[in-house]
Amino acid sequence: MRKYLSIIMTVVLLTALLAGCSNAPDSGGSGDSDVYKFAVFAPITGNYAEYGKGFEVATQMAADEINAEGGIDGKEIVLEVFDTKGDPKESADISRRVTENDEYLAVIGDFSSSNAMANAPILGEAGIVQLSPTASHTDYAGMNEYMFSIMGRQDGEAPFFSTYLLQKYAGAEDVGVIYINNDWGKSAYDNFMLQTEKDGLNVVSEENYVEGEKDFTSLLTKVRDSNPDTLALIMHANDVALIANQVNQLGWDVNLTALGPGTSMQIIELAGENVERLLLSTPFFITEENEEAWAWSEEFKSRAGFEPTVHPAVAYDTVYLLKAAIENIEGDVTRDAVREELQNLDGFVGLTGPIKFNESGDITRKYLIMEIEDGKFIQKTEFDYVD
Amino acid sequence: MDYYLMQLVNGLSQGAIYALMAIGYATIVGVVGMVTFTHGEVIMIGAYAAFYAFSFFAENLFLGIITSFAASWLLGIVIYKVCYERFFDSPRHIPLICTIGFSMLIKNLAQIVFGPNMKAMPQPIDLGFINVLGVRINTIQILIIVIVISLSTILYIVNSKTRWGIQLRAVSQDKKASALMGINVQRTTMIGNCIGCGLGGVAGMLLAIYYQSILPTMGGVLGLKSFISSVLGGLTNIPAAALGGILIGVTENLGTAFLSNSYRDVFAFVFLVLVLIIKPEGISKKVGGRP
Amino acid sequence: MISNTFENVKKIYKKHAKIINIVLIILLLIIPRLMPNSYLMGIVCRILMYATLAGSLNIINGYSGQFNIGHAGFFLIGAYTEAILATTYGWSFWPAMIIAGIVTSIVGFLVSLPTLRLRGIYLAIVTLGFSEIIRIIALNWTDVTGGPMGIKGIPSPELFGFRISGPVDYYYIFLIVGILFLFITNRILKSRVGRSWISIREDELAAKSLGVEANRAKSANFMYGAFWAGIVGATYAPYYKFIASDMFTLDEGFNILAMVIIGGQGTLIGPFVGASIATLISEVFRFASQYRMVIYAILIIVMMWWRPQGLVGAYDSILAGDDKSLKKRKKSITQKVGDN
Repeated sequence: MRKYLSIIMTVVLLTALLAGCSNAPDSGGSGDSDVYKFAVFAPITGNYAEYGKGFEVATQMAADEINAEGGIDGKEIVLEVFDTKGDPKESADISRRVTENDEYLAVIGDFSSSNAMANAPILGEAGIVQLSPTASHTDYAGMNEYMFSIMGRQDGEAPFFSTYLLQKYAGAEDVGVIYINNDWGKSAYDNFMLQTEKDGLNVVSEENYVEGEKDFTSLLTKVRDSNPDTLALIMHANDVALIANQVNQLGWDVNLTALGPGTSMQIIELAGENVERLLLSTPFFITEENEEAWAWSEEFKSRAGFEPTVHPAVAYDTVYLLKAAIENIEGDVTRDAVREELQNLDGFVGLTGPIKFNESGDITRKYLIMEIEDGKFIQKTEFDYVD
Repeated sequence: MDYYLMQLVNGLSQGAIYALMAIGYATIVGVVGMVTFTHGEVIMIGAYAAFYAFSFFAENLFLGIITSFAASWLLGIVIYKVCYERFFDSPRHIPLICTIGFSMLIKNLAQIVFGPNMKAMPQPIDLGFINVLGVRINTIQILIIVIVISLSTILYIVNSKTRWGIQLRAVSQDKKASALMGINVQRTTMIGNCIGCGLGGVAGMLLAIYYQSILPTMGGVLGLKSFISSVLGGLTNIPAAALGGILIGVTENLGTAFLSNSYRDVFAFVFLVLVLIIKPEGISKKVGGRP
Repeated sequence: MISNTFENVKKIYKKHAKIINIVLIILLLIIPRLMPNSYLMGIVCRILMYATLAGSLNIINGYSGQFNIGHAGFFLIGAYTEAILATTYGWSFWPAMIIAGIVTSIVGFLVSLPTLRLRGIYLAIVTLGFSEIIRIIALNWTDVTGGPMGIKGIPSPELFGFRISGPVDYYYIFLIVGILFLFITNRILKSRVGRSWISIREDELAAKSLGVEANRAKSANFMYGAFWAGIVGATYAPYYKFIASDMFTLDEGFNILAMVIIGGQGTLIGPFVGASIATLISEVFRFASQYRMVIYAILIIVMMWWRPQGLVGAYDSILAGDDKSLKKRKKSITQKVGDN
């Protein structure tokens, strides 16, 4: 009896596997349905789940808002979230699945540059737009004409950070640099170092760390030994908070500046008083004064259960970008038309500021200086800015 | 000179946490006789238990220690039932895969239940500084070292003086003979596993306080570090495992001090490989369990 | 139990080996024509790739009984070697692939040196450390490996003027590599070298006393397993056209290991079954969204409870964990030797 049972179980399992696999991609229909469907690639599971969740919530928020106001020309937006686990092998297969289904008009994502770059040849060949909120590898957007990124080029932010924030505003003299050793951190760091050389800023020590590091004590002790008056942190919100806390634990009195985290309440929540007087550069800000953005942030918090970082904000904008592009299309809404209008889009202002793509498909943003005072972000304007 | 002394202190306090994790790990491996990959997740659960205790009840250190120990103890029972109980006579790679699967399960469940984002850990003690021979040491570092030393002492006393401890040691040396002596091997093994897990949980709480933050994925690297530390010590020898943890912590921090931080994990591994080449059983003499 | 089914299948296979082989090969060759859906072909390619990769780990873990859990390191070396040769030096795919295999196998030899003195879990931790060290070096050695930027634009292989890209065409490369792997490995396992590996697995002391040079055999075993991991890595790089160090983490190594053990160590077909099941499960349960990996993890545990020796694992070896087989083994031994 048991023998037969196990044979039957195996057979059932195998057929279920095969059936499930072959059925899945055929669920689509033809292109002219009454909704606009976007595929969202995000790491819902795995080590980047924190960011994947932010993607999922923020894009859904945007879609809900648009649909509540009647959608795009009367058609609703439907988002389908695909979990890529931060694994390029999975995301490449998912890309193929998306290219074979005419329903998907464009792809939003993926989070990491590795994934986005593994997807690029596949999606580019099929002629479908991959609009990544966060992929910031310098070569990503240029891989083919269908690739777009709105994180902002680092040859925009890093020089601003060096010249205006560090030198003109903060008046820093000896700077210790700590950067995260991934594609984003490295390119920000490289651009930053180029500018410091031009500006004549004295960089007394430069250290990096591997993503996922929690213990910065020895690294900070080392940087401290070179006696900088200002620390330049090139990293995301969580790590800035960790470093601020550990600087405090060392009893070290040093000015902190950060490139990358944006005006995320996450920093203040994680590091509290330790990030008082932290200076940072950001293309946009979410503060109580900026009512629209503040409302967005509150809504995000209630949906996701945590404070937004810069990542969900840019993910939120991608949906509106696609909406704007589709509204500009005269004639049939095709994947190519979406690409065309996305590239030519002018005058779009999103939550994260104005967005206009350059030829290769990424953007150079304009930056502001913010400072944390009494647990709040305050914009600083008293420095001579030349555009 | 102060600089290197300071790096040494950093290494020691980090090494102390590694040591506590490694003590737990070595206890598990010694009693159960199998290597585990769930220790990182045990540590994470301990940290979260303390986090919720601090948030909902009071920011009391002892409360934190007790809840994290208890939560990890309970998780230890589940781990024992799922990963070990059936597999004592099986080749060792089978429970190993079970622990890999179980750690995946806990990590992903934690991301769903606790939320995937990093949270700030409440601080049960105030930060202060003490000057010792020109080296500034902060109270958290002292707290860690004190807790680790006292827990290790308690473990030592339990192990050598109490009935439980004697049973534990008997089981870790020879399961069959202890069964003949009338020891309930299954139960003793489970308790040993739970003690190891509980110590891991407390280490998790200390780490969370030290870094002032918790994250569902914090366990991965830590589980690995406790594994390395206990292998360095000879896998089942508890004092040697503690020494191994401290050595790994010091190596990492001095490596950062002399060379570069980006190769941090490389230092630990290279050090381990060198020790293993010279002494294949780690730094201890005694070999027990079934490595 | 399920094993009987496999025994029966085995019997049928042995009876009509030639016909079945030919039908199987034809079937494998025309799969892309039957299934022009490139998403499914992508999954088939992933399965084939992992099958060979898991097979190469199985050579080390399953056939000589050593314990390697850092296989992702060998995979990385193969992929990076091919990528560097192809992009920086403009080599074509085929020689680069062979060189990648050879380089990886040399590294495999170096890794095997300290491991010869170590056994069990000590060996495991050294391989684990090696995998992490290699990854961190690839992340930091910016001049050669591109550091955190990875290597992009790896050219597709060409064969007789055809550019092979996309899963439908690339399927054949994975297939050929897989078949070559099975064929050569099968030959080697039946040779003196292969038999010495198995003898070491079953009882190293006895093997030594019978004149097997255990150290040399173990080194050769590591080199051979690493060689194929390198070859698979080399085919992987131009398939995805972009590689970065975060693709070769320890989790990847555990993943490969899980495939081997789910399928069954010490059998040629086991890793293939394991790779198929693991890949299919993670694809099929996509609808479960955030619970996907939870289900995957539970299934791994269930698989270990249900069939600890793997789905097609061998019963007649020390690797078999089933109680019955152990008893059978003990019984047969006691019959031969007498009770103590």
